[in-house]
Amino acid sequence: MDVRSFSFARLCALLLACWPTLVCAGELRIGVLAWFGDQTAATQWQRLGAALQARLPDTMVQMAYHDMDGLEKALAAGELDFIITNPGHYVVLESRHRATRIATQKIEPDRDSEHAVGSAVIVPSERSDLQTLDDLRGKRIAATVPDGFSGWLTVWAELKRRDIDPEREEVTPVFAGLPMSRVLDKLESGEVDAGILRVCLLEHLVRQGRLPAGRYRVLSPQEPDAPCLRSTPTYPGWAFAAAVQTPDALARATLVALLLLDGRGDVLRWGVPADYHPVHAMLRDLQVDPYDFLREHRLEAQIRRYWPIGAGLLVLLLLWLFYTLRVEVLVQRRTRELSAALAARDEIEERMQTQREKMEHLSRLSVLGELSGTLAHELNQPLATIGNYARSLTRRMWTGKLSDDAVAQAAHEIAEQAERAAGILEGIRNFARKRASERKDCDAVKLVDEIVTLFRGMLPRAPEIHIEDRLPDEHRRVCVDRLQIQQVLLNLMKNAFDAHCAIGRAGEPIEILLAPAGERTKITVRDHGPGLADADGARLFEPFFTTKPDGMGLGLSICKGIVEAHAGQLAAAPPDDGHGLCLSFTLPCAATPHHDAT
Amino acid sequence: MTPPKPDPVIHVIDDEASFRRSLIFLLESSGWTACEHDSAESFLASPPTLPATGGCLVLDIRMPRISGLELQRRLAALDSPWPIIFMTGHGDVDLAVQAMKDGAVDFLQKPFKDQAFLDTIERAVELSRTRQQASRRCNEARALLDRLSPREAEVARRLALGLSNKEIGRDLSISDNTVHVHRQHVMEKTGTGSAAELARLILRADPSGLDEQ
Repeated sequence: MDVRSFSFARLCALLLACWPTLVCAGELRIGVLAWFGDQTAATQWQRLGAALQARLPDTMVQMAYHDMDGLEKALAAGELDFIITNPGHYVVLESRHRATRIATQKIEPDRDSEHAVGSAVIVPSERSDLQTLDDLRGKRIAATVPDGFSGWLTVWAELKRRDIDPEREEVTPVFAGLPMSRVLDKLESGEVDAGILRVCLLEHLVRQGRLPAGRYRVLSPQEPDAPCLRSTPTYPGWAFAAAVQTPDALARATLVALLLLDGRGDVLRWGVPADYHPVHAMLRDLQVDPYDFLREHRLEAQIRRYWPIGAGLLVLLLLWLFYTLRVEVLVQRRTRELSAALAARDEIEERMQTQREKMEHLSRLSVLGELSGTLAHELNQPLATIGNYARSLTRRMWTGKLSDDAVAQAAHEIAEQAERAAGILEGIRNFARKRASERKDCDAVKLVDEIVTLFRGMLPRAPEIHIEDRLPDEHRRVCVDRLQIQQVLLNLMKNAFDAHCAIGRAGEPIEILLAPAGERTKITVRDHGPGLADADGARLFEPFFTTKPDGMGLGLSICKGIVEAHAGQLAAAPPDDGHGLCLSFTLPCAATPHHDAT
Repeated sequence: MTPPKPDPVIHVIDDEASFRRSLIFLLESSGWTACEHDSAESFLASPPTLPATGGCLVLDIRMPRISGLELQRRLAALDSPWPIIFMTGHGDVDLAVQAMKDGAVDFLQKPFKDQAFLDTIERAVELSRTRQQASRRCNEARALLDRLSPREAEVARRLALGLSNKEIGRDLSISDNTVHVHRQHVMEKTGTGSAAELARLILRADPSGLDEQ
C-alpha cells in the first residue's frame, strides 16, 4: 500500500468515528444497570431522566436499562454516552472501556437509601449460634450472583478479611440469582443458614410491611446506631460515567446538570466523583474482574514469563528422570546378571566341591585298594594268631596239659590280637569314610604320628619312618582338615615306599621333616629312591599321569588340590644330599597359638 | 599211648612276634620242643645241629633284610640237613614255587589250620629222621669202602656190577688168581657175602657209584 492510499483510509476512519457525534448532537443516551429488572429500574430512574431532560432542553435524553453484560455490550458498541452503574461494575467498565466517572451518587448515611452501597448479612433471629460473621465458618450463605457487588463481593471481601475463604470451601455460597428477594426465599426455606442483602433493603422491606420486624437479625453490625445496619463497610455510591467517545462538551454540560439537580430521592443526588480506591482495593483483594488477571498472574503469568526457564528445568528434570531410570534399569539388569553369575559360580563351586570330595574319597579308596592285598594279610595275622591260641588250648585240654599259666598267656595274647585287628579296621574305616571338608586346629606332630601309625599298620614289614620335629611352639598347631592332610601324607609315604620297592630296597627308611616356613608349617617327605626324570617332574601333579604300571595317577593330583585348598603348594625337589626325592607342602598355622593346650 | 618222643626240635623263624609265639604255643601243646628266632640272622648266628631224632625249620618267606628264601639258600650252601617248611602270605605263590624247587618240604599259606600245620611238621620231622638214618648208613658204607686199597676198590665195583673173575682179570689185565685174592679181601673188609650185597653197600655210600665211568 502506498502513502496516499494509506492517508485516505485514515481520513475515512476519522470521519466514520466522528459521525455519530455529529449526527446525534441532540441526543443524550444513558445506560442504567437494572438490578431488579427493567421495569423496577425504569420506575426508579425515570425521575432522573426527566430531571435531566428539564435541565437540558436542547438534548433528547434517552434512558436504557440493561443487566451487567448488556450494559457493557452497549457501552462497547458505542450505543451509550453515559452509564450509571454500581461501584464494582463501574470499576470494571472503567478499566475495560475507559469509562470516566463524572459524578457519584451521594448517599446520606442517616437515611435508609435504596442506593446505599454495602451489605448486611442476615440470619433468622432464633439462630442464637450465629452472632458474628466468624460464626459462618462451615455454613451455607445465600447470595445473588457471583459478580453481584452488594449481593456477594462485599461480603466475600469481609469474610476473607476474617480469614474465612469461600474458595477454600470454608463457607459455601448459594447463588439464588436476581432479584435479591430470592435470597430471602432461600432463607425462608431453611436451605441456607444466612443471606446477603444490600444494606437498607431489610429495613426497607420491613417498612413496606413485606417482612415482619425482628424476623431477621444482622450479623456483626458495623454501626449499631445507624438507621441501616450493615455487616460490611460502605463503599462509594453508584457512578455516573461518560463513555470514552462522549464529547467533553456534552460531558461537561451533563455534569453541570447533574450537580444542579435538586430534589428528593437518591436518584437525583449527585456529587463530585468519589474515590473508588476502596472498591479497587476490595476487587484486587478478591482478584475478581477487573483484577481477575491477578489470578492468572499467580500461575499463568508466571508460566508465561518463566516458561523458557521452566521448560529448560522440565527438560533437565526429564533428562535427569530418564537418566535415573536408565541407571536404575541398568543397575537392576547388572545386579540381576551379577547375582545370576554369582549363583552360577556358587553352583559350580558346589559341584566342584562335591566332585573333589568324591575324588578324594575315590583316591582314599584307591590307596586302600593298592594296600588291600597287604591289608588282608595284615588282618589275617592277628586272626591266625587268635586261632592258633584257641586251638592250642583245646589240644592242651584234651591231653591234660592245660595249666593256668598257659590259659593266662593264651587269653592275654588273644585279647591283644583282637584289639590289634579292631585298631586296623577302625583306622581304615575312618580313613575311607565319605565326609565333608572341615578345618580344625590340631597338633601337626600328632597328626603325622597318627598317619604314620596307620601306614605302618597297613604294611607288613613297613619301613622305618623317621620323624624329625623342628617346629617351635607357635608353628606346632595348624588349622587344617586333618583327614585330608593325612591322606596327602599317606600318599606321599606310599609313593616313597613304592620308590624304595622299585629299586629293591623296601626296608629303606622314609624321612618326614616338620619345620617352620615363614608363617606356615612345612612338612617334607623324603625318600631314597631313584628320584625323578626331568620330564616326569614337569607332569608329576597332572591327573592320570603315573609312572607305576598299576597306578591310577590320581594320588598326587588330588594331594595337590588338597594342599592348594589349604593355600599351600605341593612341590617336588631333589634332596640337598644324595639321591631320592623330597615332596613338601606348607600348612596354615592356627590363628591363636595354644601354648596352654599342650 | 606212644612213648614220649625223644627230642626232635622245631625252630620257628618269623619276625612277627605274636604269631611266632602262637606257633610255639601250638607246637608245645602237641608235645614238640620248639625254639623261636625273630630273624634269619639270629638263627644263623649259631646254627643248631639237627638232632638224631630229627626236627625241622618253619620259615616265614618274607622277612626284612634276610628273607626266608635267602636263608634257605644259605643253609643249602652249608649243606644243612634241616628240612624247611615255608609260611607264605596271600599272593606269594611265585615265591612258594621257587622255595619248593629249591628243596623245601612244604609250604603253608597263611592262615592255615592247626592240624595241617602239625601234620606237615610231623612229616618233616619224619623226613629228617629218615634222612638222618640214610646219611648215617651212607657214612658207615663209606667207612667200610675206605678200608679198601685202590685196586681192591676197582675189583669191588666190577664185582658189584656182576662181572665174572675172568672178565675182571681181562679188564684189569691181571690173572684170575689175583682177582680171586682181591675178592677175598674185599668180602672180608666190607663184611659182605655176595656181589649183590656189595652193590647195595656201594650204592648206599654213593648213589652214583655204579654209573658208567
